[in-house]
Order: sequence, then C-alpha cells, then structure tokens
Amino acid sequence: MKFVPKLLIAGAVLATMLVFACASEEPTATPVPPTATTVPQPPTATPVPPEPTPAPNLSVAPTATAIAEATAEAVAAEETATAVMEEAEVVTERVVDDPEFDARRGGVFRMLGSDPTTLDPALTTDSTSYDYVLKIFGGLMRLTDDPSNPIVPDLAESFTVSQEGTVYRFKLRDDLVFSDGSPVTAFDFKWSWERAAAPDTGSTVVKEFLGDIVGINDVIEGNATSAEGITVIDETTLEVQIDGPKPYFIAKLTYPVTFVVNQDNIEAGGETWTDDPVGTGPFILKDYEIGVSLVLARNDNFWDRPPFLDEVHFNLAGGSSMAMYENDEIHVSGIPFAAYERVTDPNEPLYQDVVDVPAEFFTSYIGFNVKMAPFDDAHFRRALNYAVDKELIAEAVLNNRARPAYGPIPPGFIGFNPDLEGLRFDLEKAEEELAMSEYADPDSRPRIVLTTSGTGGSPPVWLQAIADMWDRYLGVTIEFQEVEWATFLQEVDNYRLQVFSLAWSPDYPDPHTFVDVLFRSDSQINSTQYSNAEVDALLDSATTEPDPARRVQLYQEAEQIIVNEAAWLPLWWGSEGKILVKQSVNGFALSPLGSFTLRDVWLEKEIDF
Amino acid sequence: MLIYTSRRLLWTPVLLFVAGLFIFSLGSVAPGDPAELMAGQRADPEAIERIRERLGLDDPFLMQYMRYIADALKGDFGESYRYRGRDVFELLGPKLRVSLELNLVSYVVTLVIGLPLGFWAAMRQGTWKDPTMTTIMLLIYALPVFFTAPFLILVFALWLDWIPVSGWSGMFSTHAVLPAVTIGLPGAFVFMRFMRASTLDVLGQEYVRTAHGKGMGHMTVNRRHIARNALLPIITILGFSLAGLFGGSLIVELIYGIPGVSRLALEAVFQRDYPVLTALTLLGAGMLALANLVADIMYSVIDPRIRLRS
Amino acid sequence: MNRAGSSETARIDSPVLAEMEAPDSFLRHAWNQLRKRKLALFAVCVLAVLYTLGIFAPLVATHDYSETNLAKTEAAPDTENWLGTDRLGRDIFSRVVWGIQTTIILTVITILTASVFLGLALGMAAGYLRGAVDIITMRTGEVVAVVPDFLLVLIIAATVRPRIKEFGYWIEDNTPISGVISSGAVDYIVLGLAFLPLSWFGAMRLIRGQTLAIRDAPYVDAARSMGVGTPTILIRHILPNVITPLVVSVSFGMGAVALGEVIASFFGIGVQPPRPSLGVMIGDVTARTGSAAVETLRSHPEQLLSPIIVVWLMIFCWNILGDALNDILNPRAR
Repeated sequence: MKFVPKLLIAGAVLATMLVFACASEEPTATPVPPTATTVPQPPTATPVPPEPTPAPNLSVAPTATAIAEATAEAVAAEETATAVMEEAEVVTERVVDDPEFDARRGGVFRMLGSDPTTLDPALTTDSTSYDYVLKIFGGLMRLTDDPSNPIVPDLAESFTVSQEGTVYRFKLRDDLVFSDGSPVTAFDFKWSWERAAAPDTGSTVVKEFLGDIVGINDVIEGNATSAEGITVIDETTLEVQIDGPKPYFIAKLTYPVTFVVNQDNIEAGGETWTDDPVGTGPFILKDYEIGVSLVLARNDNFWDRPPFLDEVHFNLAGGSSMAMYENDEIHVSGIPFAAYERVTDPNEPLYQDVVDVPAEFFTSYIGFNVKMAPFDDAHFRRALNYAVDKELIAEAVLNNRARPAYGPIPPGFIGFNPDLEGLRFDLEKAEEELAMSEYADPDSRPRIVLTTSGTGGSPPVWLQAIADMWDRYLGVTIEFQEVEWATFLQEVDNYRLQVFSLAWSPDYPDPHTFVDVLFRSDSQINSTQYSNAEVDALLDSATTEPDPARRVQLYQEAEQIIVNEAAWLPLWWGSEGKILVKQSVNGFALSPLGSFTLRDVWLEKEIDF
Repeated sequence: MLIYTSRRLLWTPVLLFVAGLFIFSLGSVAPGDPAELMAGQRADPEAIERIRERLGLDDPFLMQYMRYIADALKGDFGESYRYRGRDVFELLGPKLRVSLELNLVSYVVTLVIGLPLGFWAAMRQGTWKDPTMTTIMLLIYALPVFFTAPFLILVFALWLDWIPVSGWSGMFSTHAVLPAVTIGLPGAFVFMRFMRASTLDVLGQEYVRTAHGKGMGHMTVNRRHIARNALLPIITILGFSLAGLFGGSLIVELIYGIPGVSRLALEAVFQRDYPVLTALTLLGAGMLALANLVADIMYSVIDPRIRLRS
Repeated sequence: MNRAGSSETARIDSPVLAEMEAPDSFLRHAWNQLRKRKLALFAVCVLAVLYTLGIFAPLVATHDYSETNLAKTEAAPDTENWLGTDRLGRDIFSRVVWGIQTTIILTVITILTASVFLGLALGMAAGYLRGAVDIITMRTGEVVAVVPDFLLVLIIAATVRPRIKEFGYWIEDNTPISGVISSGAVDYIVLGLAFLPLSWFGAMRLIRGQTLAIRDAPYVDAARSMGVGTPTILIRHILPNVITPLVVSVSFGMGAVALGEVIASFFGIGVQPPRPSLGVMIGDVTARTGSAAVETLRSHPEQLLSPIIVVWLMIFCWNILGDALNDILNPRAR
C-alpha cells in the first residue's frame, strides 16, 4: 500500500476553513494547516493543539478492542457485507411534503472558507477542495464518524464481495439522479472512473485509489480507454474486479477521485466544467468567484432528504473572523488564541455560543531522520524527548487546548494503548541520555535545522517553546526553517530533512495506518527512515493475524519499541476544541473525522440575523 | 513635444518587456517546483512530469518567457498554476476592479481631506494652527496600518456597530468606508503639504496683491485666484500619485477581507504562481508607465519650461 | 543630526580638508537652525533615545530576547517586565529593544548601499559623464521603478533567501567564521536586496539632477579647463553640492525602510526568528494575515502597540527631521 493521505479522512476541514479567518497557528480545535497565510494549505501539515479536557471515555481499552473487532468486520470483511443503513438515513424518499422539513427549510448559512484548488473530484487532493467536493459530489461509499461502522454505502445501496475477495458487486440506489435530473447509472460510474484514469484528466492520485482495478493501469498509461475490471451488469449494478484480495479497497471508494461525474456536463463544459458542475451531493454549486465567495444551494434532487438550508455562503476573502462573528456576518467562527480567555468567561455573552467539537484523530510530531547526525543516536533522540515538558506547554502556551502525545496512535483510535509508556518530561533522564550519547559534547554536534512547512516567519509557538527547553535544559540549540508545503513534503519524502515537524491523520480505521505505514523499514513514507527488525517482524505478523485483539496487541508491542527508540518526539494528539456557533444555528456538528456536514443544519429564522 | 511623446511611447513596450523578464527570471532563482506545487500532496512522479511537460517547464527560461510574451500579445496571459485551468486574465479582472475601486475611494478621501486642509493651513501660516494641523496630519500619516485597521474595526464596527467588519460590495457601499479611511487619511498628509506649499506660492505672487489693489473682497480673492492657481500644479501630481495607488492597499485588503489584487498577489508569491505574478507585473508596470506618460504630458502642457529640460 | 553635531567639534586646519569647510559650516548652520525648531528638536531627541536603546540593546534589555518563561505568559506590564510578556513569556520590552537594533542595522545597510553608495556614485557619474552611463542607469532605473513596489519586495524577499542562506551555511562550514545565520546577516542581506531596487533610483535621480545643474557652473568649468581630473572635480566640487539633498532624502528614507521591514517581516519573508524585529512581533500577534489584529488589540493591546508605537515614532520623527532639514538646507525648494 502506498502513501496514505492525511486527507482521506480530511483533516480539520472546519479548522482549515476557520483558520484563515480565525487565527493563526492555532485555530480552534482540531488540527490546523501549517501557517495561516492567505494561501490555502493542505490539511494536516502541522497540527494544532486544540482543547485538552481529559479525553472522554473513548480511550478506555475495552472500547478500543470492541472497535477493533467491529471494524475488522466492517472493513476487512471478506464475507458478504451488506450495508446496514443508519437509522436516521433510512429516509430514502425525497422529502418534499414533510411538515418538519418545511418548518426547518430555508435560510442562508454563512461562514468563512478558503479557495478550493479544484472542484474536480478527480483532481482533488487537498482538504479544502475535498470539503467542497464532498458537498457537491458523491460516490459509492462514504465515511461516517461512527467508529463501529466507519464506512457505509452512499450512492450504492449495498455491495457484495466474492469469496476470494477480488470481485465487488455494487447495487445502486433506485431512482438515483444527478442534480440536473438526469439518471445516475452504473455506466456513469464506469465512465467517471475511466475518465479519472485518463492521462488527459491529469489526476495525480487515481493510481493510488483506483489502481487496484484490473485493467485501469492501461488507461492511466494511455494505452486503453476502457478497463475490463469495471463491468456494467445493468443500469443499477456495477461489478468491479481488483487484482488481489485487498479488504481496504472498499475504503478507497470514499475518496473523491472515485466519485461519479456527469459525462454530458464534462463534455459540454470543457476545461472549466467545474464552474457549473453536475453532481449527486446534497448541494449544488450556485456561484463561485475566486477569492470572493463560493455559494452552495440545496440540491432538490438529492437521493436522501435534501438540506434544510437554501444556501451556504462561504466568504473566501478572509478578514477578522471573530469580529465578523460578533458583528453577525458569519454563523460560525473559530476562536483565535487572543480571544480565548474572553470567550470562555461565563459572564461574557459570547460564552453562550461556545460549542465543543470532538477530538479529531491525528498525531503531530517532530520526526527525526535517524540516518542523519545527530539523530542517528537513540540516546540523543531520547534526551530530546525527555527534555520537553509538553504538559507545561499545553497549559501555559496553548490554554490547555492541546493534548500531549506520547505515542503515534491517538486516544479513541483502534489500537490506542493507554498503558503505553511514553517518554515523559524527566530532566534527570534527559541529562543521563545526553551524557550517554555520542553527541554529549556540543562541539561534536552538527548544526541542527528543524524544518516546518510554511511561508516563513515564526514557527508555531510550541516549537519555539520546545527549542527553548532544549537549549535551556540540554544546551542543544537549533535553527528553524520554513518551507512551502508541497516542497516540504517532497523534501520529507526524499529524506532530505534532518528534523521536521509534521502531523499524521489516519487513512482508515486501523492501527496499520499509524504504525506500519510510518515505521516499517520498507514503507515508502517512513520519513524518519526508522528501521528495526523486531518491529518489522511484529508488523508482519500483525498483517496476517486473524484475531483482531491479538493483532492490536502486536501493533501495540511494535509501538512501544518505536516510542522507546524515539524515532519521533510525539507532540499532540487531536483533542476536543471549541468553536463559536450562533444561537440560531441547529444541527451544526463536526465529526472526529474532521469533516462537517451542512445537510442537517437549520436556522431558527426568528432569531437569525 | 511630439517627438518626446512618441519616444516615450516607443520606449514603454521595451520597459514592460524588461520589467516582466526581471520578475520572470526571479522565478528561476526561487526554490520550489511549480509542477510539484500544482500536483498536490500525493502526486506520483509521472504525474508531475506530465505537468512539467504541459507547461513547458523544462525549457530554458528565456524560451519560456518569450513564449509567455508571445501569448500575452495575443491577449493570453497564461494559465494560473494555483487555480488550474483558469486564465490569468479572467482571474485578475475582478480583483483589479475591486482594488481600483478601493483605491479610488481612498483617493477621494485623500483629496477631500488633504486639499482643503492644505489650503486652510496655508491661509493660517504664521499662526499656531498651521503647524499644529500639519503635525496632527503627519502623526496620522506615520501611524502604521497594523494599528489603524483593527482600531477602526473595533470602534466603528464592533463598539458603535455602524459599519460591517469586512467584505466588499462596491465602492458606494458601507463596506468601503473603513478601508477607504484607513488608506485615504494617511495619504491626505501628502496632499495637504503639496496644497499648502502651492497655496503659499500663489499667496506670495504679485497678482494677488494686484487683485487686492483693485478692491476685490478678501473672500473672492481666496476662491477665485488663490485656490484655483494653487490647484493647478497639483493636477500634475495627481497623475503620478494615481499610478502609485496600485498595490498600496496590501495589508488593508487582508485585514478587511477585501478580495482585491494584493491578496491574490501575495498568494501568487507564496505559491510560485509565475503566470499570475508576471501578468500582475506587466499590468502594474503598464499602468505606471501610462500614468507617468500622462503626467509628463500634462506637466509640460502646464509648465512649458519642462520641454526644454527633456 | 548627530553627524551635524559632531562636526561642530571637528577642527579643520589641514589644507586638504579646507575644501570641506563649506559643507561643514553649512551643516553647522543647519544645526543652529535645527535647534530653533522645537518640533524638529523633539524628533531628534526621540530618535536619539530610540537609537541609543537599539544600539545598546545588549545592555538595555532586561531579559534575553528568546528566553521563554512559561510561568508568566501574556502578563501585563509590571516592574519586572516593563511592557509585559508575550505568549511564550518572553519580555516584550527586551524584544522591542532588540527589534529596534534590527531596524537600525537594516536601515543603515540599506541606506548606505542604496542611497549613499549606489545613488551617489551612479548619480554623479550619470550626471557628470552623461552619455552611455547616463542612459544605462536611467533606463535600468525606469524599469525597476515601473514594477509595483510591493510585488518587487515580496518576490525578491521570497525568492533569494534560500540562496543567501545556503551561502551563509557555506561560509560557516568552510571558514572559521561562525554565527553567520544566527546573527541575522541573511535577513539583512535579503531585505537589503529587496529594498535596493526601490531606494537607489530615487537617490540616484536626485543626485543626477543636482549634478547636471552644476556641472556647467563657471567654477567647475574653470577647474576643468585648468586640467583638474574628473575624480577630483567630482569629489571637490560636485560632491559638496549634492550632499545636502542627499541628507534630506536619507532622512525621509530611514522611516520608509523601517516600515518596509515591518511589512516584510509581517508576512514572514523579512527577519526570521529567533532574531526579534518589530515586524516579527507585529506579525506574531496578528496571525500574519492580520486576522487576529482586532482580538489582540482588544485583549492584549500592549503586545500589538509596543512595536507599533516604536515604528510610529520612527516614521514620524524621521519625517519631521527630513522636513526641517529640507527647509534649512534647501531654502529655495518649494
């Protein structure tokens, strides 16, 4: 398995949107794109420590195991997995006459946003675009924020998997139509996928998400226009053959590149067809002016209950988020650091508007390139770990909006180990480790340059605090360097950076996405170049281990070794955060996956501005 | 005069060409590969290679620039790296309009405050009022926008709740008030000084005294002669300063959330969006060159001595 | 102004320096005039205080500028931290003082290279020699002048830094010199380069115009006909006459460069941490897009206002001074 996106589970969508607005390096809750420049940034570059508040019961071990089992069933099921719809969504009819719907219907929801890089699902790779695309388009499957049932059918009604696990048969919902009223058939999916794969489309991620399909690589390479692995059985039945039993294939179908698009729409619209896209999402794109505003309107042809809102206005021009919120110009806002004290004061009117957002799964860390001096010495790495008082930073600098991390797997995620022994702040041990390291003498240390993604200027405050702790407690001085996000990733991927700050969001609900992908010797995105035969062996046996509980245990053993060898300095886990939501807004919820749906939002018009 | 003007006209395209080349060449010094930036974060190398090929990024940069200029002459300023498939011109158009509107309103504020104040101050030369007003205006002029913008928002949008915090809906809407004051008020100092000096010049001139001698009323002298004659040289400055307006609103656009050209430019700098940057340079340079030309001509019309010097 | 002041004490006895007597007495005259203007005097005093603080930052600062104190973050001003502390508990007063030093170094570098060195040399060369030199410098200047300022500064600052930094590392690695990067030298060079195109042309045009005006003056003609060499003429006769407008333009330029640093650093392309600068301080508390400016002004005004007031005073005072110098040294102008 190749790289894993931080955005499959699109990091911090709201945060991304609000960051520009709200603030700064630290938005509100949830992780944040690297720096808050005007330039929209990819998702989880650096994290942002959000709100701490002792983790809810999510992190209790039995739960984790239960989740692991459930997920193993849901995702890795080789047996027939027929979709079970959640209760709320059983409403399949297009509700038009529902009195409740009518009562809630209407209104314009306003929030800050940033420019999508593209609105073409096939080209979407960043979280900002992802978020808009998810509202306008849809695919066979979608992610939910229910950890026990993370992937459910969307446009598909159900699907079956063959005994060998290589043939997937999808049954589409009845009477599916695009936003323009034309029917959605299995053929549309075949066309959409082959179009995504066509070299002219220019998708950079199609290989990763659809590459498992038999014959698709010929299309990607331009040798064919059709993939024999995709078969239209009838109008509502699609059969897909993949090149091996890959249980995670179904998860990939939640990614935009696999979404269904409308052939007429694209052929008529030419290169700028996304100015007037036809999709199957709950909203349609009504208007988009680059850098000014993006307006979504209700898709009355949505297969499920359409959104209550008439329109959603994303203000793309930025500005002072909090001031705009207080002046009734937007419905939601992140809370900039400077405003935190004021807003969380119960005597302040704004206090009524403060809403908790769930912790998002991600882990941010400082990665050491273990093949580069001075980080080729585990003692030195451990010394740096022990010398950082994350609890203090969280409390004093981040208003307790961050949860110190001690290992790769975040609390609440399958495989999280509450008994993990992290390298907690301990000056004695730090000094001991430093003394044992071959870099104990400052003159023997090469220059240390910590690289973060960004466009220059001050690195995030917590990194400055850490640098100061290293300097003060160990006499280790470092320099900072900021590199543009895309370039930064290239540098990381090519092991050109000595030490860097990054964050990781899971791609699928399995510890594999944290431990195996990031630390196995031969993993392509093992950016620290960490290599340990024992860990590799544990990871190998975990991959084939049929017993979910045992599997989790193997991952946890590997994790403990990795932590002990300090390939990382884990920084923060996603934690609960706070945002401001106007009293008139109902149904606005963020999921731990970082995404938010606006379909359930409705406004109480009497008190709305 | 004609020769001078036509020489300037011929020189302008060369000027633009070299200015564009200058910006374009900085791109080749810069780190970061536009193709990588465009491809996004999980692109495979072949996809990046395809983008490089499509954009001709592997060609020598002089060739890239020549191709750019050739296209630009046909009205095609290329495709933005950041907004894929977007024609740069289509991207710039609305932003330019907003920025021009913003700067125009600000300019009006500048003139409406600056010119009368300058006149007012000149008429009170020698009293405490003149230096006091000049000092106050200089204090405002020196005040960094990092303070004025948030301060005005705090007072007028949040505390008094008179005006929206941010956004833009045309130069005649309430949205324009705060940004226009933020940009325009400091600029008023410059015009106040010009106007004051110009008025003092006129005041010192013979014919004013003559007019007095003929028995015209004091106020009439003020309006008819002094103000009009004092404004005359100012007109020549208007051209120069109008050209300087372009891009003078960078931080104001950011803080007030105005979708103007500065924001786009800033984004383009960080995203290595060279087609946008080069187009912006060419446009900005073109406007400046044009404004300078007009100012030159106006100047020589009003003040014939200039012709000799050129 | 200090220069003018110190020249009072400089005794000119040697015949070689006699030639300089004219400007010296002129400056003395200027100083006397300046003393009569209360506002200008005030400006001189404020600048003297600010510059003293900056130059002696290591002595004046009460704390290390990068030393964090997590036990006392975002504190209001008190007797220990005169201007309060920032988010990391760093002393704002000390950071402002060091920020002033950064500004001083930057302004001096920029003004020296651009206005004084390039402006003077090219301006005199172009004005006196005319011909090809004149055409080339003027045309180059026009090209640069026509590019919108803010684009030019942003693009240069954003593009050349990595190269300069590489060079800094190279020096550290290959020579005994160390601390190149941490001294902030890279920032000064980058910003100096970014401001260069903006500042040299104005000064150069000024000098050129002045030179043009006097190159055919009778005494210059006389010198020429007596066979005095060009360099001598330039230094003895032209230089003293072009120096006054340069002083005025430098005075105005100081404030402008200070503001330029603030804007560039605000966007993260100017001075880089850990070195403090006024612009970095403003950028840090306004989230670099200015979006947090309102909130900071509201909840922790001292964090935003401390650097801003310093910048404000600098721009104000240099303008007052420039104005006064202009009136005194160029009585005929306007």
